[in-house]
Amino acid sequence: MQIKLLRLLAFLIIIVPLAGCSASSEEKKSLTISAASSLTDVMKELTDTYETNHNVSIKLNLASSGKLARQIEQGAPVDLYLSANQKWMDQLEAGKKIESETRRNFTSNHLVIIGAQSNNELTSLQTLANLPPESQIAVGEPESVPAGSYTKQALRKIHLWELIEKQLVFASDVRQVLTYVESGNVSYGIVYMSDAKISDQVKVLTEIDPELHKPIVYPGAVLSDSTYKQEATDFLNFLSTKEAKEIMKKYGFQS
Amino acid sequence: MLNLDFQKRLNHFLLDITASFQNEIIILFGPSGSGKTTTLNCIAGLSHPDEGQIELNGEKLFDGKSKVPVQKRRIGYLFQNYALFPHMTVQKNIQYGSNDDELVRQLTEVVGIQHLMTSYPHQISGGEKQRVALVRALATKPRALLLDEPFSSLDRQTREQCHQELLRLHSRWQIPIILVTHDEEEARKLGDRILPMDQGKLGSPDEFW
Amino acid sequence: MLTMSYSPLFLSLKIAAIATLLVFVAGVILARVISRNLFPGKSILESVFLLPLVLPPTVVGFGLLYLFGKNGILGKWLMDWFGVQVVFSWIGAVIAAVVVSFPLMYQSASAAFQNYDSNVENAALTMGASRLKVFFTISFPLAWPGLLAGTVLSFARALGEFGATLMIAGYIPGQTDTIPLAIYFAVEAGRMEQAKMWVLIIVALGFSSTLWLNWWTRRNVLLFNRKS
Repeated sequence: MQIKLLRLLAFLIIIVPLAGCSASSEEKKSLTISAASSLTDVMKELTDTYETNHNVSIKLNLASSGKLARQIEQGAPVDLYLSANQKWMDQLEAGKKIESETRRNFTSNHLVIIGAQSNNELTSLQTLANLPPESQIAVGEPESVPAGSYTKQALRKIHLWELIEKQLVFASDVRQVLTYVESGNVSYGIVYMSDAKISDQVKVLTEIDPELHKPIVYPGAVLSDSTYKQEATDFLNFLSTKEAKEIMKKYGFQS
Repeated sequence: MLNLDFQKRLNHFLLDITASFQNEIIILFGPSGSGKTTTLNCIAGLSHPDEGQIELNGEKLFDGKSKVPVQKRRIGYLFQNYALFPHMTVQKNIQYGSNDDELVRQLTEVVGIQHLMTSYPHQISGGEKQRVALVRALATKPRALLLDEPFSSLDRQTREQCHQELLRLHSRWQIPIILVTHDEEEARKLGDRILPMDQGKLGSPDEFW
Repeated sequence: MLTMSYSPLFLSLKIAAIATLLVFVAGVILARVISRNLFPGKSILESVFLLPLVLPPTVVGFGLLYLFGKNGILGKWLMDWFGVQVVFSWIGAVIAAVVVSFPLMYQSASAAFQNYDSNVENAALTMGASRLKVFFTISFPLAWPGLLAGTVLSFARALGEFGATLMIAGYIPGQTDTIPLAIYFAVEAGRMEQAKMWVLIIVALGFSSTLWLNWWTRRNVLLFNRKS
C-alpha cells in the first residue's frame, strides 16, 4: 500500500512538471485576460470566436474589476485587463502597471431596472419612490461595484437616494443582484442591460436615463508586465472590429 | 417483602428471575456479565423487564403495563463506584434526597463520618466514600437496598469494617438488602441467603454450598 | 477614518450573542437527549448536525436561501404566519450564525455529557429527584466546563461568519453589515485602512475569547489536580 503511494507520488513529482513543460513548449501562445465579471458571457463567445481564427489560447480570469486590479497590483501574471470602470484602470495607470498608449474604451453599457416576470410595471427611475416601504431593491455596493456607483449617481441626481436608502440591499457584484431578483427574494434590482439580457427569469421594467450618471464605458489595456504584448494588443484591436461588436450587441452591450 | 417474577431479553441470553425476599440480606453471586446489574436496575426502575412483575410490600412496581417511575420506588441503590456527586460536599450529597436532619445526624454518627461533612468526594478515602454512599442511600428511607459490588475496590481491612457496618445497619433497618458480589468469602459472611446466578438464571442456594 | 461607523461592531456582537444563546439552548438539549441514548439513525442525525462544519459556507448559504427565501418553505411560512422576513434582514444573519456555530456547540456539549459517570444521574434518580432536578443539579454542573468551551467557540465562530451571511442577509448598512462583511466591502472598495481597523478588532475579539477559554480551562484543571 505504502509502496504504491510512494510510486504515485514519484510519478506526480516527475511526470507532472514534464507535462507542464511540454505544453508550454508548444507553439500556441497562452494569453491571460482578466475581465470584469459583467463581461463573463460575452467574453466566452468572443474568445471562442477569436481562438478559432488565431493561433492563441486564451485563459479568462473573471472577477470584479476592483479585485482584478488588486491582483494585478500584487503581480498576477496577466496580459490584458478589461475593466468595467475607469477608476481601477486610472489607479493601475498611475501605478505604471499598464501600457498607457494601448488603453481604450472598447464598449459601453447602460443601467436598467429589472423585476420578476410577474412584476408590475415601473415606468421610470422616479417611480421607485412610490414603492411600499417593505419592498426591497437590490443594487451593487456603491463603493466597490461599478454598477452600484452609477446607480448611486443616478439616484442622487434625482434626489431619491436618501429617500429609498433603507430599502436597498447591497450585493457584492451585479450577478448577485440578478440572482436576488431571479429567486424572488427582492422585488426589484438595478443591473446592466447586458446582465438583464442573459436571464429569462427577469424582465426589464425600465431603462435608466444615461444622462443621470457618468458614461458606463469599459476600458481595456495591455499590462506592462505582459509577456505577449503584441498578441494582447491584437485581441484588444479585435474587440473594435465589426464582428466583435455584433457579438457584444447580442449580449446587450453598445459600441 | 420483595417479589420478583420477570423476563428480559439481553444480548446473549434471556434474563429470567423468579424469587421472593424477606427482610434479609440476599447475595447475588456470579461471574460478570451474568445479568446481576441488570437485575438490580430492573428492581430500582432504571431499566425495565420485557414482561412479568415486581412487587414490593404489596405494591406493584412493575406489571408489564404500568410501571412506577424510579423516583417513586424508594429503593436505595449503591453503585460500584459509589457515584457520589463530585461537585457537592459530603453533607450536600447526603441531603440531596433527604430532608430529615435527625435521621442524617443518626446515620452519620452510626457510621462515624461526622468529621467529613464539609469535604468533597475527591478529598476522602475509598472506605469513607463507601460509607458516605451508604448513608446517602439510607437517608432517603428506602424500602429496600441494592448494592452493586460495593466493597470491591477497598483494601482488606477497610472491607472488614464496612462488612460490620452493613450488618449493624441491617439489624436496625429491617429491609430487604440485595448485594451483588463475586467474592465468595464476602458472600458467605454477609448473606442470609446466597443465590448463584449464571446466564440470566438464578440457581438454588444448594448449588452454592 | 474618523467618519468610520462603529455599527458593524455592535451589530456583530448583537448577532453573535443572540445566535450563541439559541445555539447554547438547542445544543445542550439535543446533546443531552441524544448523546447518551442509542437509537436507529443516531449517527445519521449526528452527521447532519455536523454537516455545516464541513460544507463550504456558500453551500450553507444556498441551503438557507432555499429554506428561508421569500419562496422557500420556511421563509414563506414565517412571512405568512408571523410577518417575519428572514432574507435580507438581521434575522437572516442570526440564522446563518446559528447554523454554522451549532456543530461546535453540539460536539462540545455531547462530549461534556459523556465525560462523567452516568451513575451519578442514576443515583440522583433513585433518591427521588425528578429528571429536571437531576439535569439542573447534576448533569448541567458536571458538564459545565465542556459547555462553556462550546459556548465560547460558538460565539467566536458566529462572530466570524461571512459566506452564508452574505448570501442570506445581504449587505444592508446598519442592519446586516457585520464586521466580516464590513471587511470584505472595505477591501473591495479599496479602503484598506478601514479594513485593517476591522481586522484588528475582530482578531482581538476572537483571540481574547479563545485565550480566556484556555486560561480558564487550565486554571480549573490545576485546581482540580491540586484538590485530588
